[in-house]
Amino acid sequence: MLVRFAFRNLWRHRHRTFVTIAAMGLAGSVMVFYAALMEGMLFDSKRNAISMNSGEIQIHAENYRRDPDLYKRIDNGYEIVTKLQQEGLNAAPRLYGFGLAAAGTSSSGIKMSAIDVDYESRVTEIHKHVMRGEWISKEAPNEVVIGRKLARTLGVDLGDEVVIVSQAADGSMADALFNIRGILKSVSEEVDRAGFYMNTDTFRKLMVVPEGSHEIVIMPQDHQFNTLDERLAQVKSHAPGLEVLNWQKLLPAIAEILEMADASIIVMILITYIAVAMVILNAMLMGVFERIREFGVMKALGFSPWQIFGMIMLESQIQVILAALITMGVGIPLSLYYAEHGIDLTQFTGGFSFGGIALDPVWRSLLTPESVIIPVVMLFIIATIAVIYPAIKAAVIQPIEAIHHR
Amino acid sequence: MMLNRLAWKNIWRHKRRTLITGFSISFGVFLATTFTGIGDYTYTNMIDVSATMGLGHVTVEPAGYNLAPSLDKRLQNASQIQQQIMTLPQVTQTNARIMGQAMFASASKSIGGSFMAIDPATETPAANLFIKSIVEGELFASADTRGIAIGTVMAEKLNLRLGKKIVYTTTDVDGEIVGEVARISAIFHTGLDEVDGAMALLPINLMRKTLSYQSDDTSIITVLISDQRDAEMVRNEVAKIVRSEDVEILSWKKTQGDMNGFVTLKRGSQFLMELLIGLVIAAGILNTILMGVIERSREFAVMVAVGMAPLALFLLVMVEAFWLAIIGLILGIIITAPWFYYLFYTGLDYSAMMEGMQDVSAGGVLFDPLIRIRLFKESIIAILSGLFLLTLFSALYPAWRAMRTDTVDNLKTI
Amino acid sequence: MRLSRQLLGTIFCLLTVFIPSHINAAIEPPSAESVERAREILRSIDDLWRGDSSYAIFSMHVKTEHYQRSMQMEAWSKGKDKSLVKILKPLKEKGTASLKSGKHLYSYLPRTDRTIRLTSGMMMGSWMGSHFTNDDLVDESRMEEDYTPAVTFEGVRDGNDIIEFALIPKEDAAVVWGKIILTVFAKSLLPIEEIFYDEDGIETRRMSFSDYKVMSGRELPAVMRVTPTDKPDEYTEIIYETLELNVDLKDSLFSINSLKRRR
Repeated sequence: MLVRFAFRNLWRHRHRTFVTIAAMGLAGSVMVFYAALMEGMLFDSKRNAISMNSGEIQIHAENYRRDPDLYKRIDNGYEIVTKLQQEGLNAAPRLYGFGLAAAGTSSSGIKMSAIDVDYESRVTEIHKHVMRGEWISKEAPNEVVIGRKLARTLGVDLGDEVVIVSQAADGSMADALFNIRGILKSVSEEVDRAGFYMNTDTFRKLMVVPEGSHEIVIMPQDHQFNTLDERLAQVKSHAPGLEVLNWQKLLPAIAEILEMADASIIVMILITYIAVAMVILNAMLMGVFERIREFGVMKALGFSPWQIFGMIMLESQIQVILAALITMGVGIPLSLYYAEHGIDLTQFTGGFSFGGIALDPVWRSLLTPESVIIPVVMLFIIATIAVIYPAIKAAVIQPIEAIHHR
Repeated sequence: MMLNRLAWKNIWRHKRRTLITGFSISFGVFLATTFTGIGDYTYTNMIDVSATMGLGHVTVEPAGYNLAPSLDKRLQNASQIQQQIMTLPQVTQTNARIMGQAMFASASKSIGGSFMAIDPATETPAANLFIKSIVEGELFASADTRGIAIGTVMAEKLNLRLGKKIVYTTTDVDGEIVGEVARISAIFHTGLDEVDGAMALLPINLMRKTLSYQSDDTSIITVLISDQRDAEMVRNEVAKIVRSEDVEILSWKKTQGDMNGFVTLKRGSQFLMELLIGLVIAAGILNTILMGVIERSREFAVMVAVGMAPLALFLLVMVEAFWLAIIGLILGIIITAPWFYYLFYTGLDYSAMMEGMQDVSAGGVLFDPLIRIRLFKESIIAILSGLFLLTLFSALYPAWRAMRTDTVDNLKTI
Repeated sequence: MRLSRQLLGTIFCLLTVFIPSHINAAIEPPSAESVERAREILRSIDDLWRGDSSYAIFSMHVKTEHYQRSMQMEAWSKGKDKSLVKILKPLKEKGTASLKSGKHLYSYLPRTDRTIRLTSGMMMGSWMGSHFTNDDLVDESRMEEDYTPAVTFEGVRDGNDIIEFALIPKEDAAVVWGKIILTVFAKSLLPIEEIFYDEDGIETRRMSFSDYKVMSGRELPAVMRVTPTDKPDEYTEIIYETLELNVDLKDSLFSINSLKRRR
């Protein structure tokens, strides 16, 4: 009987009911969308930090990072890479060397990075950051891609020749002539100023390094559900005696900045939850208080306080259920749409990188179970809390008082 | 005017509703102030810190230097230009600095790096991050001494301590390789390994001699200003002072382009988020006002019946919204003020929220785990007027509904 | 100091930096008397090596933890700051040449047929894979100007009558060493050994001379070996096969154009 009453009441006040449900539904939808956007930002900021160059985990020979020299190599690099690939981790071996590049009368110190294109493109996204020209290719062993400041210092452009000199692993003079295939966008100060990318085979011949790698960069394949720590342990098991570090250790400054950004994002989510809570509270509170008179009349007609209380609770739950349906019906498709298409911020700024972090000007949302469940659960909790006080008040009110209630 | 009085009376007739709406608006003020304020503070801070890493808010430099810096490009008559720049009211400090690449050697090792040659008499910790980050020793006392300040990582790599000597080699103005010796007078730690491992401060006068520069030559003149928002304006003013084709004047937006992009992007996403929150708040306001209108449909019907024009009803609701907005904003300022002062003077310590951030000091001076707040005048105006307009906007639909009150139907209902 | 210039001047005044003696731990200021005496002897060593130009063929053997290589080179020098070195062997690197002219250092790379001027950034690099850096080649130390010498020992040691000098770099000298200890034969004033210390008095490298024989009418050490102290198994050894002093050399030899020229 109460249920019928509840429905009838809601229908009788259909304008108000509609407005209340709409307000809660809108607030809930915005919350879902907002949470998904924030999750997307958290996810992207980490992804951006590691996808450009550093990867999620790196392997080096002990001490290589402290004092990088040509001889501190990982001997069985390709073996490790193959094993990791089989276990669902993408990995790419790299080699590095220092030298001098010269063109015309200009010269500049360079850091040569030898890349195995097939592996690298699965791990990092530096190949997407070519400003002009193209990324290195196995078909063009004598073509290199260089940093943008280096290109300016040397005064070279696409197709130009550049000669490099270094000392090969056998102590002999290593020199070779390359053509510029591509010039990178801004990546990081080091890459901009000294980055010099070439094919692994070219580097091996030039520097007389027939085998081994200086670095293995690892990224999880998509849909990995284990944690970073688990992946780290997994990598360590394949790299005994080698230094295995996660990106927080590799990029401590960036990790700290991101952690700070994460903290502020969480604060923002909390604050927004409060804002949404206010709207819901407001809607429910008003809906009941405005009708105190009506409840007084009902009491006069012989309804018990419990019946009135139960009816108000029922009415509110019905409204919340409808609002939750709106929340999901609007919030989820909206989040999914922007997960796919993203919000294009290029009107504010183009794509670029900041201190080695590639910043993607397209902001994508990420729909996680939490970004739906939390707003919906919150909807129920807050709505229930909101009506308790007015419901009690309505339940215990004397009819005479209620009728004078304003 | 009668409308105004009626509206004022109406909103106090429903105290609870008014307070709820007012509170929604004031909460909006609170949120917008917090978000915008933290944003204004953080970005200003980032820009200011970045400006102390060598290039200032505005940089006077030889033409083409920004794209391809080298030691053979130099400015002449630096001190004269500096004096003129100092006459600008926004300018807090200008410094002449010579920047270049060098090799640094100890008996055990040598490594490549960069140097910034400065005049200790005019430099201050506030204007120079490296001086601010000194953890051991003191900056060399004069521009002519053989002192050097290096980062912790470089000191470790070269296996050197305070008081030990370093030989540095660079290329002078004629392309000759020149070497000099210096004793480590200070060691700094910025927290960025690539900086601590490669940067050195050297005395400018000695560097001028080493490079065969004239006594008033420099690579760049950096200009620090009191408010980073004036950078473009100061740039233009400086450009008026220094009228030369061989000289370029650039603001941080050009010299630190990545930072500019970062700040712009973050501002863009912050704007979007505030827009969403504004939408939620608007929904709340709309809800309350609409409820009020529906509630009073009988009342409105009576008013129309006694000859009130429907347009007047529309206006009545709008004027009510106007007063609600004013009350809300005042309420907002009252509740936000203490929070604002707390953030402004004490700040919010983020470090407690950051798990895994074992050692905050490891970040050196670059990372301030304390979030403070700062509001620009234009931000305050934007927040207040934004919420004001938001309230009026939210009232449009309820006002339109009030206007269309169906007299007969409403008078029939109980 | 002629010592280094003449003997090793062919290799870009390599030795100039290095003038020797032993001083341990605390460096006491030498007495004015011993400084004067040291200057006198060093001056006479200078005289001994007097000569304005040279031509030499020498071999260089380098052993490091990672490789071992031998090269044969041909070298010319004139005056204080002109020298040219070309690789004769191995064939793979034949024609590779280094030219020092004033404070500029150029490398010619036959494989790519390019001449490169080395910038300060490249100075830390190893010269031809040896234990010398490019910087060692250009860093022309002015003994008299950069060091305060003192005689620290005179008499018989290990059966030889020797003189030992301590060379302390002056405060403003662009020298990385804390001190250098040079030992010479008392009679011939030929160098025996040169040891380099850092500012904490810790030895960092050692250069020793041997195989004294008459070349170009003078008795000179034909073998010079450099050992980094922290890697005692490594060394670079230079052995003179031919040395001619006071040869007639044109200035044009020390130009970028002649770098490419094959002889």
